Amino acid sequence: MSERLISILLDSFWKILLPGLTMTIPLTVLSFSIAMVIAVAVAMVQFANIRILKQLARFYIWIVRGTPLLVQLYVVFYGLPNLGIMVKPFPSAVIVFSLNEGAYCAETVRAALESVPKGQLEAGYCVGMSYLQTIRRIILPQALRTAFPSLSNNLISLVKDTSLASNITVMEMFMATQRIAGRYYAHLALYIEVAVIYLLFCTVLTRLQKVGEKKLNSYGAN
Amino acid sequence: MAMLQIQNVRKSFGDLEVLKDVSIDVEKRDVIAILGPSGSGKTTFLRCVNFLEHADAGTMVFDGESFDMHRISRKDIARIRKKTAFVFQSYNLFRNKTALQNVTEGLIVARKTPKSQAEEIGRRMLAKVGLSDKCDSYPNQLSGGQQQRVAIARALASDPEIILFDEPTSALDPELTGEVLQVMRQLADEGMTMLVVTHELNFAKNVSSKVVFMENGVVLEAGPAGEFFANPKEDRTRAFLRTISGEAALTE
Repeated sequence: MSERLISILLDSFWKILLPGLTMTIPLTVLSFSIAMVIAVAVAMVQFANIRILKQLARFYIWIVRGTPLLVQLYVVFYGLPNLGIMVKPFPSAVIVFSLNEGAYCAETVRAALESVPKGQLEAGYCVGMSYLQTIRRIILPQALRTAFPSLSNNLISLVKDTSLASNITVMEMFMATQRIAGRYYAHLALYIEVAVIYLLFCTVLTRLQKVGEKKLNSYGAN
Repeated sequence: MAMLQIQNVRKSFGDLEVLKDVSIDVEKRDVIAILGPSGSGKTTFLRCVNFLEHADAGTMVFDGESFDMHRISRKDIARIRKKTAFVFQSYNLFRNKTALQNVTEGLIVARKTPKSQAEEIGRRMLAKVGLSDKCDSYPNQLSGGQQQRVAIARALASDPEIILFDEPTSALDPELTGEVLQVMRQLADEGMTMLVVTHELNFAKNVSSKVVFMENGVVLEAGPAGEFFANPKEDRTRAFLRTISGEAALTE
């Protein structure tokens, strides 16, 4: 490797990492938090069989899972202005990522809710708890534990998917890299560098997942 | 007057008529064993009593208050459930809660008992079933017999007027069956009212005060335990007792 390349890589490392810390991570954390709220709500209305809401939930999941994430970003950021609705880049990205991730996570949470034995709900009734009390204190905690590995998977995907936000002018890690690459004309090295930084983020998350699973397993599977 | 009267319960699952007009009277301090072959409807009947199954017809008179079991409101179900407790064949302990939390959960959440008081009750109930040292264990760290004893402690915690047992020892191997039956016998001695669906002939013979024999969704014979075993009236009852005690002799 030439000395020039090394100095470019070192020089650009912080210039790439910084938007990673100030944009990619906040975008991921914010979107995923909202997605989790959506996921639990959408999973719950299906699990509880609330008729009209259940159909709405299925419709939402159908639309979101059946269309590309990139197209969804374009519709919100470049499309909605046609209707006079202007959304700034970052909020556009948060809206799309939370709705998108929410649909996928909803399916994960729903499957996990359904995997909790029926006897748990009956036992809740028999000690005098209501449906909602039993769901909140007994069923949902068990379901989320079951869903944890899959949800971690979704989170890791989301970290990488945020790179798509560069298409709607969100100044995140990948966009920063594109600019630097253009300036130095060192595309291969810089794209590999940003890939390594994504890998770094995901490695941290994988570690956290392991710690989380260990903690949740304190009452083991039965 | 009987504390709990269940009259003319009917229940079908699709085309299958599981309960055809079943009635039972329970006096205070009664320990009633419900016997019968598999598929006789005894578990379904017990579940109807606690509204885990919704009866197609039937009347319940509980503490002088009458309820239509088919049309009963959710509110009344909740009210009745607070006076009863249920012990399941498969224990159904809350898997995400410790033994102590299993016992206190209903008190704290449903009955709004202050946490410290609930925990005091919880420890007392776990001590009663001989599990003082398992307060902090999760269900999957306990044996089947221990889990079922926690379930009994959970049932006791709410100070119910009656406890319904659905084949409480059927999922246990013989060694563990004894420890559960011993706890149940102790409750009977203390005057707890119990309705027990069981295959344990010895329990029915030695602990229960009355026996109800069910087959094909009807009560074939009912009466005081002593009389039932000494002098069964129905041919079918005699045949059942012969088979099941023959099996017992084989396994002994």
